[in-house]
Amino acid sequence: MAASIALRRELFSLARILRESLHRGPRSLTASSSSTTCSITRFLLPLTPSTSFQTASWLSSTPSTFSTQITVTKEPDTLFQKVGILVKGHDKAVLDSYESFATMAAKELGITINKISEPPRDIERFTLLKSIHIFKKHRAQYEMRTHYRHIQLSHITGCTTQVYLEYIQRNLPEGVAMEVTKTAIEKVPDHILEPMWKDHPTDSKPSQ
Amino acid sequence: MASLASKAFLFLGRTNVCGLRLKESTNRVAYATALSVNTSSGNKDRNGRGPLGRRPKRDPEEPRTEKMQVDQDWTAVYPTATSFRPNSVPLPVRMGYPVKGGVPPEKKGNLELIKIPNFLHLTPAAIKKHCEALKPFCTEWPSALDSDAKCDEHFPVKVESTDYVSAGPSIRNPSARIVHLRVKLSSLNLDDHARKKMLKLVGERYCKDTDILTITTDSCPLRQQNYNYAMYLLTVLYHESWKIEAWESEKTVADMEEYSWENSPSQKNILDVLLRMKVAGEEDSEEVQEQLLGRQDVQEYKNSVTRLKNEENESSMLQYKEAVKKLLSL
Repeated sequence: MAASIALRRELFSLARILRESLHRGPRSLTASSSSTTCSITRFLLPLTPSTSFQTASWLSSTPSTFSTQITVTKEPDTLFQKVGILVKGHDKAVLDSYESFATMAAKELGITINKISEPPRDIERFTLLKSIHIFKKHRAQYEMRTHYRHIQLSHITGCTTQVYLEYIQRNLPEGVAMEVTKTAIEKVPDHILEPMWKDHPTDSKPSQ
Repeated sequence: MASLASKAFLFLGRTNVCGLRLKESTNRVAYATALSVNTSSGNKDRNGRGPLGRRPKRDPEEPRTEKMQVDQDWTAVYPTATSFRPNSVPLPVRMGYPVKGGVPPEKKGNLELIKIPNFLHLTPAAIKKHCEALKPFCTEWPSALDSDAKCDEHFPVKVESTDYVSAGPSIRNPSARIVHLRVKLSSLNLDDHARKKMLKLVGERYCKDTDILTITTDSCPLRQQNYNYAMYLLTVLYHESWKIEAWESEKTVADMEEYSWENSPSQKNILDVLLRMKVAGEEDSEEVQEQLLGRQDVQEYKNSVTRLKNEENESSMLQYKEAVKKLLSL
């Protein structure tokens, strides 16, 4: 009984905070709500009153040190058939360590790894004059070596991709770049299922 | 963020405390408590310093690695990415080019170890902890879509885009706005005429071998806009291909995509030959033509000619040869 009353009180306070924040800063709320599903909202700004009941119950059950809430939206999750991560760096040992970190993290989160490959390295060389004036015969040669590592994940949802990629990218070491190629799969949109001329069989429009 | 906060605390600690040496612990907040130690102020007010006003040099204490337990929590020693600290890492690491006839230099005062990015904050234990905290935010892949074929069947439209992460003056990459939309034409509701018209409209964007139409958009500055534009193009192509314009009836033989045998010179030639082979002087040529066309070897000839014109193969040539031999009863 007391617990339910406590829950309701929390609800009202949350609703009040929501109303106040709505009046003051609609932009911040829309920014967080327009993001895709599984937005991680901070404690002070819950998303909608309809979901605050779920969040309040989550709060009372787990004493979290970070005080974050998980909000569940009704928007359908995006599905990615393939996510390809290409990591580029100058040092192969760093890429090795990073690959082991990424694969371990993927295994912990339950993400299927399709293939891990090592594309051949690129060496960019150029020759410059050593001196600022004359001495054409004396030059200095420089080179930049770029090593690659390609990790391909398959059958992964939008929420999980967001979480995993953010974790991976925050722990990207210095001097390493990354390209992520995502292939999302979608249904054929409703307006392409039937041609719209079926209601007007004779086309009397003048051709352009 | 924790590391920044702790660095700020350390900074404060250093300015507040004098004479209290801070050790390299990230999370320990060292605020000054005891400051007012009043030594003999007879000597020119030097605050207990040496003859030149310098602090007396203290001997360095033993490194922290000696006091570390074997079963300590390593995630507390290196919680975030920090540079290598030789007195905090209890490993006998050596790095660098070895001296002649010697070994690589030791870790104390080794710049190479400080320069290279280390993964000491990402040990398997740390990764497990992080993933435990991240698991509630992940969702499961629907178990019904376990194979690629099923994905293609239920979700035929594929949208591909690339994100770029790199260090530089700007975090934006203009190539991130490019969107590729791939659809298999067999999954769209198109009849024969619509399919041919769609292929003509689309031109090079269609691949015959895989039956995939690829629409690449990069004309808008944002990815969302490019995606909307690609969907708009797909919609327009679809509806336009179902439209039948008045001028499409003027389609000539040169515009046809495939060869069709009806009313072609080949048909006329064959009919002429067969008519001449038969007894001359028969009227009702239309009936005779229909009779001739209905014959099986003529049908075979028609099939072989269409196949030959559409695709040139060894087998189609052989088929044509057989059909001609049968027809002319050679």
